[in-house]
Amino acid sequence: MSNDESERRLEIIIDAALAAMPPRPAPASLEARVLAELAHRAALPWWQHSFAAWPRIARLGFVLLCALLAGLAFVGGVWAVHDLGSPALGALSMPWARHLFALVTVAGELARLVPSHWVYEGLAASVALYAALFGLGIAAYRTLYLDPNSQVT
Amino acid sequence: MGVNEHTPVQTSPKEQSRSIAFTKFMRAYQDMVFSTAARLAGNDAQAEDISQEVFIKAYEHFDHLQGSETAGGWLKTVATNLSLNYLSRYRKRWRMFSEEPQIPEPPQPDSAPAELSAQQQQHALEEALRRLPDHQRVPLVLYHFEDFSYEQIAAQLGVSLSKIKTDIRRARAALLPLLEQLGLDSV
Repeated sequence: MSNDESERRLEIIIDAALAAMPPRPAPASLEARVLAELAHRAALPWWQHSFAAWPRIARLGFVLLCALLAGLAFVGGVWAVHDLGSPALGALSMPWARHLFALVTVAGELARLVPSHWVYEGLAASVALYAALFGLGIAAYRTLYLDPNSQVT
Repeated sequence: MGVNEHTPVQTSPKEQSRSIAFTKFMRAYQDMVFSTAARLAGNDAQAEDISQEVFIKAYEHFDHLQGSETAGGWLKTVATNLSLNYLSRYRKRWRMFSEEPQIPEPPQPDSAPAELSAQQQQHALEEALRRLPDHQRVPLVLYHFEDFSYEQIAAQLGVSLSKIKTDIRRARAALLPLLEQLGLDSV
């Protein structure tokens, strides 16, 4: 028998054997789980449903709010770039804004004082620590949790 | 279990009747959905999670599915896609945490083929299928149970056509000794 014929025969055998297999019975718990999950989802307030399921007025309001916030962020960004150093900012009437401005100014001055090689060394140390933690996690997972018979491919 | 023992939250008689209809619908298809998920995922617990997700999606589309002749096909497609998503999402994520896979031998039935009932034979075959490595079991199930072509499987899994054919050939070869032992190897 040629190789092709042999493979074709094998395919037919496997096909016949698998086609004869009846469906596997679903676990008895499946129905109750599905219905409980549907009940749970139905009991959620509307804002916890997917956006598509929100009331039309809420979706419209959300889009308008997002547009407003995006506009404010854009205007605020432009204002910050152009006017951050202006004396007018220091004369802000809102106390929290003055504190924030002072904080940003101090942080900027401190950043200028730090030697650049400290920044690179700090970054390198962070990467090394992250890699060490990751390796430790892999080792712990393999040692403590991995099922030796698992077939992850 | 009666159809109205566990039903989703009912706010009106219409909702209640919809819930009862959905429960009947679920009972009609749950074995098929679970089988599809279990054979693809190779894990009953995950298959139950996938089946739950399939029926929750079905509930969202129940107005269209109810009474539709294509409901079974729709459920099978969703079950297949969710199972493949599960396999790619979770198994790939944890691949680097695992050792190289050790492919176990398919289980051999304890007793002689003549002594095995049809149910025991099916169980042995299901178990052998489950123990195949994912990269062999998934294309084999898609080909023989879901009627995908080799090309469709390659496209669906993002794997070359030659690898799909090789994996399916090896999966069949791995199952053959069991079929011979069960006396299911005659054409």
